[in-house]
Amino acid sequence: MASAEKILDEVRVHDIDIEAVLDPAEPDGVYRDSRECVALALSSGGGSLLLSPPTPRPKKG
Amino acid sequence: MKQSGTSALLQDAVLDMASSVASALRGGGHAPDDITTGGGPSGDLELAAARVLGADLVLPTVLCGIPPTADRLDLIRRTLEAFPPRPEAPPTVRWSHWALRRALRQADPSGSGSDERRPPEPDAAWLDGVPWPFLTHQLAVLASLALPGQDCAPARAARARTLDVARGFVRAVRRRDWLQAAGAGRWLTLLPDVPETLGLAAGLDFVELMGGDDPRVLLQVRAARLTGAGALV
Repeated sequence: MASAEKILDEVRVHDIDIEAVLDPAEPDGVYRDSRECVALALSSGGGSLLLSPPTPRPKKG
Repeated sequence: MKQSGTSALLQDAVLDMASSVASALRGGGHAPDDITTGGGPSGDLELAAARVLGADLVLPTVLCGIPPTADRLDLIRRTLEAFPPRPEAPPTVRWSHWALRRALRQADPSGSGSDERRPPEPDAAWLDGVPWPFLTHQLAVLASLALPGQDCAPARAARARTLDVARGFVRAVRRRDWLQAAGAGRWLTLLPDVPETLGLAAGLDFVELMGGDDPRVLLQVRAARLTGAGALV
């Protein structure tokens, strides 16, 4: 079994797709559950925008 | 298989470096850990991690006045050489390289390996008129450019679209994209006419609460707070 040091030694610049890391696509959204909404309500104080309803989306067709 | 294994190692190395910087920002006076020793990544992996973290490597210097270590400056010089952007590379790749060159020049103006002149800016037309979700995503990827008193084309694009960045911040929070939210929040601390109703300070608290386990998120939130509090540059 290769040691961690051995594995790190074998990583070379040409193995690394640095552009993919530096230009990441936006990850899929994961929306809040009620537990997080409560935390948000407690932490946001006077701020109301974060708790406002979702922005209306244009209808298709 | 080799690529995916390398990606996992790189991600761990980036998180370690981000944790080191975030820790230095929290103290506001702590010298940054020497990331080249003490069990940190080594060799090419270290160079790659430094390239990913980019100009934020010297945030403790920029925002807190902590002198950079010689090792860190050397690491930046070596990573700039190891990962030059291709001419046809995506704008975020070219701009992050530019930001790192600027950071080195400012952190070590007398250094033998740093440029004496401000590096010429890459093209910034890719941000012209783009939809606000894309604008926010790109700005968040380039959050290392969000520094008080330091101008560049993406910063000018952000200043012209405060409300769009604010919308993007809210959208990122709702999508639980804590890294994007933290980056957008950092930009907002620099922008004019941010709506009071946004609740930016509380929003940043929430982002830290939910996403602060990720050192990259923590780094951006702390940078935002320092910037909002008028940290030195």
